[in-house]
Amino acid sequence: MNKNKTLSPVGKSVPRIDAREKVSGEAKYVFDMTFPGMLVGKMLRSPHAHAKILKIDTSKALKLKGVKAVITAEDTLKIKFGSNEFFFPYTVDQYPLEFEKVRYIGDEIAAVAAVDEETAKEALSLIEVEYEILSAVFNTVDAMKPGAPQIHSSMNNIGVMLPVSFGNPDKALKESDYVREDIFYLQSAAHCALEPHVSLGQYEVSTNKITLWTSTQAPFKVREAMAKVLKMATADIRVIKLNVGGGFGGKLEMLPMDFAACLLSKKSGGLPVKITCSREEEFSFTRRKHPMVYKLKSGVKKDGTIMAITGEVIADGGAYCSYGPTVIAAAIMRIFMVYKIENIRLMGFRVYTNNSISGAIRGFGGVQSGFAIESHMDMLARGIGMDSMEFRLKNATDPNTVTVNKLIISSNGLKDCIKKVGEACGWKEKNGKDKTDGDIVCGIGMGIAADVMGSKMYKSHESAGSIIKVEEDGSVYLFTGAADTGQGSDTALAQIAAQELGVAYERIRVKAADTETTPFDTGSFASRVTFISGNATKNAATDAKKQILEIVALELKCDSNDFDIHDECVVKKADNSKIMDFDKAIQLCYSFDYGRLIIGRGNYNPKTTPIDFRTGQGNVSGSYSFEAQVAEVEVNKKTGEVRVTKMYDVHDIGYPVNPASVHGQIEGSIVMGIGYTLYEDLKFDQGRVVNPSFSKYRLPRSIGIPKIESIFIETNDPQGPFGAKGMGESSLLPTAAAIANAVYDAVGVQIKDLPITPEKVLKALKEKEDRG
Amino acid sequence: MKNITLKVNGKICELEVRDSELLIETLRERLGFLGTKYSCLEGDCGVCTVIVDGKNVLSCLMLSADCDGAEVLTIEGLGKDGEPHQLQKSFVEKGAVQCGFCTPGMILAAKALLDKNPDPTDKEIEKAIDGNLCRCTGYMKIVEAIKDASRKIKPNDQISISKR
Repeated sequence: MNKNKTLSPVGKSVPRIDAREKVSGEAKYVFDMTFPGMLVGKMLRSPHAHAKILKIDTSKALKLKGVKAVITAEDTLKIKFGSNEFFFPYTVDQYPLEFEKVRYIGDEIAAVAAVDEETAKEALSLIEVEYEILSAVFNTVDAMKPGAPQIHSSMNNIGVMLPVSFGNPDKALKESDYVREDIFYLQSAAHCALEPHVSLGQYEVSTNKITLWTSTQAPFKVREAMAKVLKMATADIRVIKLNVGGGFGGKLEMLPMDFAACLLSKKSGGLPVKITCSREEEFSFTRRKHPMVYKLKSGVKKDGTIMAITGEVIADGGAYCSYGPTVIAAAIMRIFMVYKIENIRLMGFRVYTNNSISGAIRGFGGVQSGFAIESHMDMLARGIGMDSMEFRLKNATDPNTVTVNKLIISSNGLKDCIKKVGEACGWKEKNGKDKTDGDIVCGIGMGIAADVMGSKMYKSHESAGSIIKVEEDGSVYLFTGAADTGQGSDTALAQIAAQELGVAYERIRVKAADTETTPFDTGSFASRVTFISGNATKNAATDAKKQILEIVALELKCDSNDFDIHDECVVKKADNSKIMDFDKAIQLCYSFDYGRLIIGRGNYNPKTTPIDFRTGQGNVSGSYSFEAQVAEVEVNKKTGEVRVTKMYDVHDIGYPVNPASVHGQIEGSIVMGIGYTLYEDLKFDQGRVVNPSFSKYRLPRSIGIPKIESIFIETNDPQGPFGAKGMGESSLLPTAAAIANAVYDAVGVQIKDLPITPEKVLKALKEKEDRG
Repeated sequence: MKNITLKVNGKICELEVRDSELLIETLRERLGFLGTKYSCLEGDCGVCTVIVDGKNVLSCLMLSADCDGAEVLTIEGLGKDGEPHQLQKSFVEKGAVQCGFCTPGMILAAKALLDKNPDPTDKEIEKAIDGNLCRCTGYMKIVEAIKDASRKIKPNDQISISKR
């Protein structure tokens, strides 16, 4: 397939750089890796939701034939890790292996490595643990009561408390013409990446170094956490990512299994150890979405001006903090990107419970806040008799503005997105009109959203680096730390490199996400890779190009600034006339006379300002992306069933580096959003996940997926690489509210409690009827 | 233990298998066909789909001992002489591949469909792959790719135009 030559590839839907190997079955995942002598590792997990560990006896397990190593906390340095350590050191609360207490069903306390799966399982059963059961707490209301079981040392089990506060919301509420209060309830959900978490650790005895292959979105972050808990130099730990079978936020952290695979390898004399999560472990013991209760009280003027937003968010964080602060911050701060607001007070609380650990999942709290805020906005508009699209147009943020919390918004196509989505769906003709056909009633609803591209929540900086090496034969290697987990970042970065260097896309070979051989990158999260790693890659290509042109200029005795490279040719800038082929220029570089190796380097750190976490002030991202979404639904009044029949998404993505990839991200997000809105629900009973399988946890399948019309608004962001902005998460944010608002439009009931099940719809319809 | 003969991707394999050995284990661990992934081992996700005697099956639910004499097609056997099958080409061209973990099983489910029904409607495609989960794409581009392949595999499809 490499016969093709795609010139100037940015803006073209070139095939994914990894698609050919994926359709042939040759693409390697850590899941597929195997080494001679490789051992099978398994984690011993707590069967109790809350208990003191009195004694762990591993002697019987160690005696079992075929067992090569058993580890407990006594084999570790007992150093805690956490994901928001830089800004929130008090949230570092988890040991790689617990030894004092267990705090949820699944808490890791030991691990074994054995010659095969059966032996490893048997060894787990031979580890004797004495517990003293403690009373446990499974919901935030009980957890915050005085005298509730204390899970960590924080007061009332509140692990994270973050405010946003600007203006005078109390006064503004008084000055409002219409004030309303709503409470929204959001359930937990699972990531369901099809490749489970899998870690393969190998210790090298002679050098005291570790290599970890892991299915991760953030190899450099895993390395940092590993170095901390093992008290090793970061350079002595090499973390390698291969193809990753989906992440969606669930693979952003070091998990105890990453640590255990490496320590077990060390204990077994350097034999490689592989630990693979079963599907049940995935559902029950990795990470999940934060369930939230989102309370809002807001006021508007008759003309639609939003006067004040107040409220509080309470999230069930589960047993440990994970990415809790980021999730809470995102849940309360995203509104500033979307609406012009002067007076606001939102408090976010993340409460420890003895449920499994809530963490990052696509949207970072924005899905929850998106549902609450966008449903609430519809109800506010309705309260003053205003069309909800007009209401949004009136209050949406503008380009080139600084928000009350000092977000610096440059390109912003939000209002265009709203207008365009309104045109595409025929909003004026359809909204509020009666569309009944027997028991089936049609409805239409809108939601809008915005997203960051990067968030300085993990380190003091958000930099990424790239290296571009042009070989003697003209082939181009791009080294990037960015972690493609299926979203297509390797492809987008290759397109950016090819475009800037002036060569065909097919020349680029990407070597990514190996902490030893690629530059630093914080990872795939916060929709940051195209924007940040893309800029780093563009800068590296600029540097490589400059080096090539210097040699050409020396040879031709001209000024290198007069030249550029386009479509595989060195050209004169003035008249675009062809000077020589790219290959010829490279031959010149590598010739006897010059002997110049071409190695370009690039770095990018977005222009942000520090966030003041006492108020929510600070510019969190280098730029912002925007969108508007409309859902069309059919509600069956008899059965309560809601069917999404069509989705429209208009997205300000700056400029699409790869339009097919961008549409693919949008479609995938929307379908994930439909699942969460209508049925996905990770359920617990006394801290135990009761539906840890694909048969009991319903995921969207191919039948019943609505048509999705996705349209771009190109705002050519001044800071984005070739104008591009990030967009991997935002299409998920307004979906739930768009559907809920469409259900209201159809049958006049606003469901404020996800998922929107037929039972809830019927109950709401009955209550509406009873009220008359 | 049982001695069995499998024809995998056109090649005869003689093996001694444990009574409890699953076809997915034989394919991946004994024969090295790592293109076949699995995601749940409970028959819920479709990721481990392969074609046995012309039918798409879940290799995590089949005992190898029961497959004696069977012809098995995995993703590795789909192309011919280094040339990808049209389904593989269409998946690449239509952007139907994201993380790729569901892709081998999805393509084989599509192959089984097209073998039976060379000119399926969108609804028939959706039904045929309903047992195959994909968390990345939202299925639209997958359906599009299968449709595209169905058109290109059978360029003379005037006969069935009325069906569309």
